[in-house]
Amino acid sequence: MSARNAMKDKVAIAGASTTGFVAKNSGRSQASLVAEACIDVIQKCGITREDVDGLCGSWPSAAVLQSVLGIPAVTWFGNPPIPMVDHVATAAAAVHAGLCEVVLVYHGAYRAAWNSGSALKDPFRRIATPGLSDPRPGPETMAAAVGYTAWASRYMYEYGVTREDFGLVAVNARSNAVRNPAAAMREPLSMDDYLTAPMIREPLCLYDMDPAVDGADAFIVTTAERARDLALPPVLINAAVLGQVRHNEEDQTVSLRQHGQHVVIETLKAKSDFWIDDIDVYFPYDGFTPITLNWIDNAGWCKPGEAGAFLRQHWDEGARRALINGRIPVNPHGGSLSEGATQASGHMREAVHQLQGVAGDRQVPDARRALITAGGFFFNAQGLTLHRA
Amino acid sequence: MVIQVSDEELVQRFPGEPITHDNAEHYRGRLRRELLLNRCAECGRWHAPAKPICPDCWSSRVTAEPVSGDGVIFMAIFLHRGPAAPGVDYRVPYPVVAVELAEQEGLRFTSTVVGADNKDIYIGAPVRLAWTERNGSPMPVFELQTR
Repeated sequence: MSARNAMKDKVAIAGASTTGFVAKNSGRSQASLVAEACIDVIQKCGITREDVDGLCGSWPSAAVLQSVLGIPAVTWFGNPPIPMVDHVATAAAAVHAGLCEVVLVYHGAYRAAWNSGSALKDPFRRIATPGLSDPRPGPETMAAAVGYTAWASRYMYEYGVTREDFGLVAVNARSNAVRNPAAAMREPLSMDDYLTAPMIREPLCLYDMDPAVDGADAFIVTTAERARDLALPPVLINAAVLGQVRHNEEDQTVSLRQHGQHVVIETLKAKSDFWIDDIDVYFPYDGFTPITLNWIDNAGWCKPGEAGAFLRQHWDEGARRALINGRIPVNPHGGSLSEGATQASGHMREAVHQLQGVAGDRQVPDARRALITAGGFFFNAQGLTLHRA
Repeated sequence: MVIQVSDEELVQRFPGEPITHDNAEHYRGRLRRELLLNRCAECGRWHAPAKPICPDCWSSRVTAEPVSGDGVIFMAIFLHRGPAAPGVDYRVPYPVVAVELAEQEGLRFTSTVVGADNKDIYIGAPVRLAWTERNGSPMPVFELQTR
């Protein structure tokens, strides 16, 4: 992996905003939710829509969002695939290269008609769900979300661990979400609740997956120089990686020790000025609990297969959450398991808020450096190191 | 004599399946109850899912060839709910397995296991190819070798 990193610390995240997330049909369009988060972040950063000359997000399209927000002109825009480290990394590269100077990065999480029965009953959501009427293969596949269940079975088999190891991730997330008003799920969860929950795709249960939600996040990405003049403390992008290997189909992935996460980790270590011993807050993705355990293994906190034991070793029983070395929380916002399917926009927004010192009840004292490892194994492993300027 | 069905008929015989120019021969093989996977005629490597060229040597001489269907369960899950499919009743959790095929290390094919109790379907269990039908067309599945 190349250690080349020409944009290191040259680009900053100047601010992050959220609508918060709800695990029910909001009665609003995706564009409405995204517009709310975008307007808030533009105002909080102390800029105007005339300052925005780049757009980068998931949904809606950049063209639709520009029209909705009345942004007069942009010189660069893009809609890369999720998860959302891609959008911040690509926006930062565009800023560093000079394609534009101030990018509005956005994500609209929206309960789609194919992943929620109640969403399917909403006629507007049926129209708004792309590919709803496409042909679909039967259940005999490991593709898409099922792939994480498949590799959960392999994780248990190879390392001799039980579902309780996955459960630690779920309990930790909920304990943290109690203090996050943006989260959709804020009721504490016990290990008993986890172990008695309905199975969905065995060996994973209801609490191993992020819920479908409505809500949006938005960010301003600009040069470090310009960010210094804006209203909030700049958060510098030290390194960003999107990792992928050749065997990236879910059922052909070579092993738990050879997939996209390993590219991300090795490359981030080479490009970044700091690593796990230096961070104050940690964001391993948790769209499915086995992803989190694999990130903890692969980041080097412990040996492969020992992430569950590692969480137990660093467990605060009173708070029912992990606190690494007594100080580093793991997904202090409650992760996607509590906020819902933010595709890591939630992890990045919380990292920005922690480094800006505006994380409220969840604030880690004097948080200076954050590690975000987003996405899963196959075609979506991504990493980002951020620090306070 | 092998009857070659048209592309149009092939798509109609397998509704919902993502048929492309690269995997069409695999689906034609299903109609004859033969499990065909793509193999490079130059270097002999197998590839799944189907690729238009050989990802190892970049030869375009890739042909669909039969595999034995013998293998070992590499991953095993049980769906307590899932997409509607004829003959699939999730009241008994539906097994889905990725089987590592005997032909080549890392070459896997995903389907269900028929004729077995779920407790006997586990990672490491040897299986062999079997056939059922879905929407009137043959579907490759696995059965335990111990049966």
